[in-house]
Amino acid sequence: MSTVTVRIPTPLRSFTDGADEIRVEGTTVDDVLKALGTAHAGLLERVMSPRGELRNFVNVYLGSDNVRSLDGLATPVADNDVVSIVPAVAGGAGKAKDRRLAKIKSSIPEITPVQAVELQHEGAAVLDVREADEISQGSPVGAYRLGRAYLELRIEDTVPDMDRTILVMCSGGVRSLFAADAIKQLGYRDVRSVIGGFSRWKNDGQPFEVPRVLDADARERYSRHLLMPEIGEAGQLKLIDSKVLLLGAGGLGSPAAFYLAAAGVGTLGLVDDDIVDRSNLQRQILHTDARIGTPKVASARATLEALNPAVKVIEHQTRLDSSNVEEIFSGFDVIVDGSDNFPTRYLVNDACVKLGIPNVHGAVYRFEGQISVFWPAYEKRRGPCYRCLYPEPPPAEMAPSCAEAGVLGILPGVVGLLEAVEAIKILLGIGEPLVGKMLYYDALRAHFTELKLEPDPECPYCSEGAQFPGYVDYEELCAVSNA
Amino acid sequence: MRTLSLPEDARAELATMVREGYPLETCGLLVGRQANGQVEVQTVVQSRNINRERAEDRYELDPHDFLVTDKRARADGLEIVGVWHSHPDHPARPSETDRVAAWEGWSYVIISVTRDGVADLRSWRLDSEQFVEEQIQLCPR
Ligand SMILES: [Zn+2]
Ligand SMILES: [Zn+2]
Repeated sequence: MSTVTVRIPTPLRSFTDGADEIRVEGTTVDDVLKALGTAHAGLLERVMSPRGELRNFVNVYLGSDNVRSLDGLATPVADNDVVSIVPAVAGGAGKAKDRRLAKIKSSIPEITPVQAVELQHEGAAVLDVREADEISQGSPVGAYRLGRAYLELRIEDTVPDMDRTILVMCSGGVRSLFAADAIKQLGYRDVRSVIGGFSRWKNDGQPFEVPRVLDADARERYSRHLLMPEIGEAGQLKLIDSKVLLLGAGGLGSPAAFYLAAAGVGTLGLVDDDIVDRSNLQRQILHTDARIGTPKVASARATLEALNPAVKVIEHQTRLDSSNVEEIFSGFDVIVDGSDNFPTRYLVNDACVKLGIPNVHGAVYRFEGQISVFWPAYEKRRGPCYRCLYPEPPPAEMAPSCAEAGVLGILPGVVGLLEAVEAIKILLGIGEPLVGKMLYYDALRAHFTELKLEPDPECPYCSEGAQFPGYVDYEELCAVSNA
Repeated sequence: MRTLSLPEDARAELATMVREGYPLETCGLLVGRQANGQVEVQTVVQSRNINRERAEDRYELDPHDFLVTDKRARADGLEIVGVWHSHPDHPARPSETDRVAAWEGWSYVIISVTRDGVADLRSWRLDSEQFVEEQIQLCPR
C-alpha cells in the first residue's frame, strides 16, 4: 500500500470542498481512484463509468504519463507518486452545417416577409424552394415554385435577368439560405433570403395561395415532363386543364390523339362518323382488328382510356356541318385537323377564325405530308387562314381522285405527331408555332422544306375588320378518305 | 452577472493566436485566480489541438499540455480557471458541441475570428447544463 497525492482539477473541486490535492492510499491507480471516491462522494462517478472504466472525457496521469499508455487502471503506484485527473478539454464551432450557414449569412442579406412582399411589388422574383408536398399547403402569391432539386438548372429559364432581385423562401429560412447561395454563385447579383420562411410569412399575414399540385400518380406518370423547365408542374397542370378537339379519328387523328393522351392533355374531343374498316388498320393505330365494324370514336376512346385513364374523351360520332360546328368547337383550346375532305376543312377553318381557336392543319398524300398552324389571332405573328391560301374548294372535276391516291401507312404517323407537337407547344405557350409557315415532308427524300405563308389582306374571313361571311356547306367532292 | 477580468495584453495575445491559426480552430487555457464569482485571468496559454481531422471546427486540447500548464500555474500560486478557443467564421457563442464537453467551474472564452481578424470575444460559464454569458472586463496591466 502506497500513499499518493491526487491532483484535483478546478471543475471537480466542488466534490473536495475546494481542495486541489488529496492524499490517498492504494496499490494501483484503480485503488487510488476508488479510495478517492469513498472519501469524496460523487467524485468517482465523474471519472469512472459504472462498469469501472475510465470515462473518455477524463485522462488520468501518473507523473507525466497518461495511464492509458501504461497499464491503465491496473498501473501500480509508488509512495509519493502524483496522480493527476485531467479533464478533457474539447469543443468546437458546431456542425459543419452551422459553420457553412454562418458563412452564407455574411453574404446573403435576410429580409422579413413584409419586406419581401414590398420588393415583389417592385419587381423582385419570389422563389419558393420547398418540396411539392409543402407547397401544396400554401405558397406566396406570385411565387415561382421551382423546388430545390433542380433549382440551379431551372432558374435561368424562370428568371433570365441576372439583375433582377431574387427573394428565396423555404419553410423556416435555413434551406433558403443555402439555395440563395447557390443562385448567387450562378451570377445573380441581388439574392436575398426570407427570414422565418413560409411559417413566418403566414404568421405575418402576407398573401399566399394554395396552389394546385399534381397527385403522386400524375407526378410519376409525367416525371419526364416535370424534369423539363419548359413544362414542369405548372406546364403539366396546364396540359391537364387543356382541351384539344381532333377532327377525325383516322390516320392523322390516331397518332395525334394517342400521344396527346399520353402527354396528359386532360380533355380530348373526337369528331368522326366513320366505323372501323380493316383497310384503316394499316395506319389508324387507335383501332384494333377486334373492333372492325364498330364506331371509330368509341374504338379510339377505348384505346386512349387504356393508355391514360385520367384523360376525358368526348365522343362526337357525327359529321361536322354548319349547324353543329360551333357547338362542337366551343370550349376547346386547339383544333387538330385530321379531316380528309374539303367541306370539313373549310368548316374547320371558318369556325376557328370566327372563334379565334388555333387550327393545327395536317394533310398527307402518298409519300408527302404538310403541316401548318392557321391562327390569324396569334399575337406574335400574323399568319394566314386556310382561305387566304385557297379561297374556295377546287371545282369537282379538278379534285384529286382520292380513292386511287393511296398513302404510305407510316406517313400520317409522322404528320399527325408533328400536329400533336404543335398543339402541345400552343397549349404550353412555348417555342414557335408554325404560324405563317408550311412544313412539307418528303418521306422518300427524307427531306423537310419550310415555306413562308402570307396572309391575304383582302381575306373575307380573317382580314382586319372582316365581317364573318357565314359558313358554307360544300358538296362532298371525294367520298373516299386519303387519310 | 459574473465577470471575467482579462488583461489587455492577454487579449491582444489571444487575437494574434487565433488570427495566425485561422482558418483552423485554436485553443488553450486561461491561468489565473477565481473567487466569489470573479475570475481574474493572468495569462493565456496556447495548447495543441489534437483533433487533426476536423481542426477547422473541432478542438481537443492535448492533455499533456494541460498537465504542464497546471504544474506551472501551481508553482506561481495560480490555477487553470478556464479554456479559450476560436470559432473561425462563426459567432462567439458556444455550440452544442461546446456545451456537451464543458465543465462547470471554468470560464469558456470564445473568440469569433474571420479572415479579417477577431470579430467578437465573449466569455461563458456552464450553469446547470446551460451556458451563461459572463461580462469581460479588460484591464490594463
Ligand atoms: Zn466552440
Ligand atoms: Zn384568311
